[in-house]
Amino acid sequence: MASTACFVIVSKNDIPIYEAEVGSAPKKEDLSYHHQFILHAALDVVQDLAWTTNAMFLKSVDRFNDLVVSVYVSMTHTRFMLLHDSRSEDGIKSFFQEVHELYIKIFLNPLYLPGSRIASSHFDTKVRALARKYL
Amino acid sequence: MDPLRSYLGRLLLEEITPVVMVLTTPLAEAACKKSGLSFVDMLSPFSLFKKIDVPVRTASEVPYRLQMFKIRMVYASDVRKEDYEVADEKIKPVVSEADEKALPDLLSGPPQLEDVLGKPEAELCPLWIKKFNRELMRTLSFSEHETFDHPVACLLVVSSMDKEPISKFVDLFNTNQLPSLLNEGIMDPQILKHYLVLHDQQEGPQDIAVNVLAEMRSTLGSNDCKLLCINSSTEADGSNADNSWLPYKALGLNNHEGTCFLSMDDLNEVLQHLVYIMCVPFPLRFAGGTNAKEGKLCCSVIFLALDHYSSVLPLLIKDFMQDFASNHIIPYMEQKIRVLNQQVATTRKGFRNQIKNLWYTFTSIESQIRVLGDFAFMLRDYELALSNYRLLATDYKLDKAWKRFAGVQEMSGLCYSMLDQSRKDAEYCMENAFSTYLRIGSSGQRSATRCGLWWAEMLKTRGQYREASSVYFRISNEEPSLHSAVLLEQAASCYLLSSPPMLRKYGFHLILAGNSYYMSDQKKHAVRTYRNALFVYKQNPWSYINDHVHFNVGRWYGVLGILDVAIKHLLEVIACSHQSLSTQNMFLNDFFHYVQSMGKKFDVHKLQLPVFNMSSLRVVHEDHRTYASDADVDVSESTWQELEEELIPSSSVVRTNWLDTQPKSSLRKFKDSSVCVAGEAVKVNVELKNPLQIPVDVSGISLICQLSTNLDALSSDVSGLTLDGGKDQVNIEPSVSIFETNADNFIVSQLDIILRGGESKRVQLDVTPKVEGVLKLVGIRWTLSNSVVGYQYFEFDAQKKNKKGKKGRRRPFNNNLVVIKGLPKLSGSIEHMPTKAFAGDLQLLKLNLRNHSEFAVKGIKMKISNPRFLIPGDSSDIGLEFSHCLKKQKQSVVSSKSMKENFKGLLFVFPQDIEIQAGATLSWPIWFHAATPGNVSLYISLYYEMENSSDIKYRTLRMHYSVEVLPSLDISFAISMSSSRLQEYIVRMDVVNKTPSESFVLHQLSCVGSKWAISALTSCSSISSVETVSANQAVSCFFKIKDFEADSCKEAGSGSYRSDIALHPGTSGDVFDVARAPLADFHFQERYRQGKLAKGPCSLLDFVLISKAAGNSSKPSPDLQLLSHHTCHCSARNQSPVWWLMEGPRTITHDFSKSCCEVSIQLVIHNSAEHRSSVRVATFDAMPEKSQTVHPHDSTSVQGGWYDVSLENDIKTISSAKSTHHEKQYSKSISPYVWCSLSSAQIDLQPDSCSRVPLKVCIFAPGTYNFSNYELQWKVHPSKRAQVNEDVNGPSGGGPGHPFYVTVLQSV
Repeated sequence: MASTACFVIVSKNDIPIYEAEVGSAPKKEDLSYHHQFILHAALDVVQDLAWTTNAMFLKSVDRFNDLVVSVYVSMTHTRFMLLHDSRSEDGIKSFFQEVHELYIKIFLNPLYLPGSRIASSHFDTKVRALARKYL
Repeated sequence: MDPLRSYLGRLLLEEITPVVMVLTTPLAEAACKKSGLSFVDMLSPFSLFKKIDVPVRTASEVPYRLQMFKIRMVYASDVRKEDYEVADEKIKPVVSEADEKALPDLLSGPPQLEDVLGKPEAELCPLWIKKFNRELMRTLSFSEHETFDHPVACLLVVSSMDKEPISKFVDLFNTNQLPSLLNEGIMDPQILKHYLVLHDQQEGPQDIAVNVLAEMRSTLGSNDCKLLCINSSTEADGSNADNSWLPYKALGLNNHEGTCFLSMDDLNEVLQHLVYIMCVPFPLRFAGGTNAKEGKLCCSVIFLALDHYSSVLPLLIKDFMQDFASNHIIPYMEQKIRVLNQQVATTRKGFRNQIKNLWYTFTSIESQIRVLGDFAFMLRDYELALSNYRLLATDYKLDKAWKRFAGVQEMSGLCYSMLDQSRKDAEYCMENAFSTYLRIGSSGQRSATRCGLWWAEMLKTRGQYREASSVYFRISNEEPSLHSAVLLEQAASCYLLSSPPMLRKYGFHLILAGNSYYMSDQKKHAVRTYRNALFVYKQNPWSYINDHVHFNVGRWYGVLGILDVAIKHLLEVIACSHQSLSTQNMFLNDFFHYVQSMGKKFDVHKLQLPVFNMSSLRVVHEDHRTYASDADVDVSESTWQELEEELIPSSSVVRTNWLDTQPKSSLRKFKDSSVCVAGEAVKVNVELKNPLQIPVDVSGISLICQLSTNLDALSSDVSGLTLDGGKDQVNIEPSVSIFETNADNFIVSQLDIILRGGESKRVQLDVTPKVEGVLKLVGIRWTLSNSVVGYQYFEFDAQKKNKKGKKGRRRPFNNNLVVIKGLPKLSGSIEHMPTKAFAGDLQLLKLNLRNHSEFAVKGIKMKISNPRFLIPGDSSDIGLEFSHCLKKQKQSVVSSKSMKENFKGLLFVFPQDIEIQAGATLSWPIWFHAATPGNVSLYISLYYEMENSSDIKYRTLRMHYSVEVLPSLDISFAISMSSSRLQEYIVRMDVVNKTPSESFVLHQLSCVGSKWAISALTSCSSISSVETVSANQAVSCFFKIKDFEADSCKEAGSGSYRSDIALHPGTSGDVFDVARAPLADFHFQERYRQGKLAKGPCSLLDFVLISKAAGNSSKPSPDLQLLSHHTCHCSARNQSPVWWLMEGPRTITHDFSKSCCEVSIQLVIHNSAEHRSSVRVATFDAMPEKSQTVHPHDSTSVQGGWYDVSLENDIKTISSAKSTHHEKQYSKSISPYVWCSLSSAQIDLQPDSCSRVPLKVCIFAPGTYNFSNYELQWKVHPSKRAQVNEDVNGPSGGGPGHPFYVTVLQSV
């Protein structure tokens, strides 16, 4: 499992609707803003890259020192972004795909307003379990 | 491509230029010092030639012309490699000087997106950054692996005052004093030498110098000797000298290129002329100001002056330099290139350099190639330079001399770039150089930085900004924090310049730069970078980013002493609920620290701490509707309106016709605006929440209000105010201070609370208008921790609300209230109203009404929503002792009737003569009965009228109580018909105590109505054992009831029977009267309610069980708790609509010797159905087998009619039509008796009526006979209408006769 892994779902309006530190490293507060900065800046790259390919999984799009940003773009242009220091691309791809399925389930909930924050604890638990499994 | 067109080209032309080593004697230097300059400084402005226009021929035969040329003048003592630390110290002032200029910028607002995108590149990358880059590169000057810093020529300067100038020249170029680099053999000491005599005209006549020059020419060669005369000014004395050079210094001449407002070309012009004025005796030079602006002004003055005075000295210097460059340096370099080229060509052709060089001296072939390349580069023969560099690269690579290899790669990259041939090659070379530098470790770090800077410039020239920024980012990692900060800032600006602009990257890198600046103690730069990034993160939902940026900007502004801006930024972060406790503490502490440093309270619009939930805002104002307590306001208006329908005068809701949608109200003139009454508080309920985990002290929460007394003027445009008032408020946002409380017109309440972490509280704020007018609720103000005043205006968007239209029922929130004249007001409450009660609880309560005003009120009416629970009492009840007044009294009370009239239809009218005088209190009894378990809301509305007529004629007082009724006793009755007696019933009462701990004493059971009598069963006359029902206990009691009105029971005599039975011994005379006021009223209600639920068609009777709470022995209960349970519409089980009974004598004495005995009996048939029914009775003589229930074994053995009769028959319940107790009889026996009157009869029975059929039996012998030898068929005719329909038949049935035993005895 990656020591650092910060997973964020960004809505098409560039608003983070779900955030989770899923790395095994103990969470430090000063790092969370650092991670946000990196992921936020990586949106600039995703913006260009997303329209150049048909694939949803964009692989690693940006890096900051030894941290890599991998991105998966859904059909509604919701971006799943993972900041990580691990190298297993396959694992990350599987992680994204399964989270995408979970996200679709959230999306199907008639009470969920698309683009609003995902507050479901079930979703959170599942994502963390997936992170343990794949990252 | 003209290299001058790109910044990189210009940079290369200025940075990679021939170096002239300067050696001066102390006297020569002293002569220059008179004007405040060193010799190098004096010449430097003239070392750049914009249009030198010299033909150059290098290795190839084709000459070309050089246009721009620059030579670098360096003292011999400076020709050495500097320590990094010392060099870095030199860079620091470049950065810190720039931050002085940044300060005024910091006071203005942060840049916005449009500003930044519209900025030209030069502004994004200001001059000081370029200067910084150059300085950073210069720290690598005279590095050992490169040769372009090797001196091309040497300028030896001797003063004319020096003794033996010729020998001085020799001494100057003494190898011992030469830089170590030359001595160590890294640089070639055999360089071009140029000799100069400096003559100070103040020291003596020019002749001396001329003599010296002549001497020099004869010994050192005529071409290489020059004379320069300075200080022609006679006035220039020491004290003035410093002043006169001030403008020169202010322009930053020491650094060759200068300040921002002058282009390079202008600058050179200016410099040359400035040098001029220092040399001429001219008062104008004092006009030179001490700062740049005045300096420029000064320059223009000097240009004018130039027309009148010949510029002697500048021209002299200029001429000298021009000559030196074009006639000496360039030809020397040309020649050297040709020589070296020849040499390299032969060496390389002969043999490949096979000896591995560990130490490259200037004599080694590699160094010579390198010199050749660098010279070619400096003379802009890039092709030649490139070919040599490439040659070198392979050699160095073989030698594994990585640093040199990287240096060569770097240069070839630059060559490619200048040639503009192959971008890919250029990139490859730079990349290669860069990574090679990095690979060799710390010694290559700075070189890598320089390489990166070249590379980035190269990429920028081509417009590859994204790549450039990543290069900047890479080199920033290798540098100390100050340098990395500047580099990161450049990376950021590159992201902005890229197309499309990558704003988020821009912001991020600015933040990184800011952090580095902060770490290297450049706070102003740190603030500046963060501030520039602010627009990227404006309204950013990425919470941590937002907090970090605002917190740091705020903190740093605070450190810089710009407190107001600091606080403004810190305000953005103080409501950070997502941060940890320690972070919240830090944010808050810093905030309060700066607020306290401000030294004054200040107002903050929309302070986020605490958060006022504006959607929770409720304004409670009382017009004609008044409320007993604040909780009552939450009841929906429709509930009240429904309740008050009959209560309030209908005139107020009358419409003139059905088209008129607006009800004609007496308050019409106020249109839609709300009305409140002077002297009565308008309450505003609002919820506030502490988003932090830290307790927050909020004090002085109050409303901001305006009250204008000019009612007439405002009432006309009240609607106008409401419409645009809100919008204006938002836009203008007037300072809170203009709404100072005007104590004459209204009073606002102040509230202090402490909100614990994460706590939400609902607060109520009051404003009490004192005079008539229009009260406008503007907003809320509060003080946070006694230091910050927050305020927030209410926002009313009337149009939006209309569009939504969802909350149609909600009272529209209107901030304008029309204040009308003071009115009387009643306040009221029910004293001791229980919030919890056991089911059946009966209490006498007191309704207290108090009139606070100066006027009396009258015409009081009251309506209660649930009369099952509350019934107003009689005025006479007030003095009575509770539970006594319920006791049975002798005289019948008529008041109950009148009460019912008063309380018809839930409306209770107080007696007309009741008026509540000013300040008086009216108490009125009110009965409470907890009818059913559950949570019950009770609404009471009280109507009263004023005496003084005003806009409002009446008011209502609304009270709301909710009571939780707990289950207590569960009572059920089972009624069985007595089989032996008609109209008598056996009642089983099951009482279950459902409470967990209470016990109850059963007091009395009553049947309601005079028709019924109740008595204990004779067998169990004492029921004292069941007087108390403990918790969770169940008790069953049996009673007998009788119908008085039934004819058959008449003989029983009413005296001994009563409708009540006391269950508690010793209380038989102490029973409560269920027919009197409260009990009867409540019973009436219960009967009505339970009737709705009753299923059966027929109902017999109602029971009322009265019990008392036993209470604990320890606790004396002065006010006895009385419970009454009403069970209505009880009916007998399994009852068929028609039942019958034989009546007649049971024992007859007859003398059978005379005649047979004739017995007259009656068959009483009762129809209890709701419909008419027909009954047919048939008697049988010959077929006794049907119903005779005698035992077969003694049928014949016993003489006469004696039979053994089992007792069980007597208590046998009424046989139903279905009963199947047929027994096989001896069939052919003769009946012992004969029916003698009629054999069959048909009777029609009206609903609920009795009919008697007389029957006669003839008996021939004494014995006991069972006259059951008959059959009865009945049929109910449902109704007339149903009868028409053949298919629908009412229930029908029949059955054999019931056993009726008569004993006939032989008379003696």
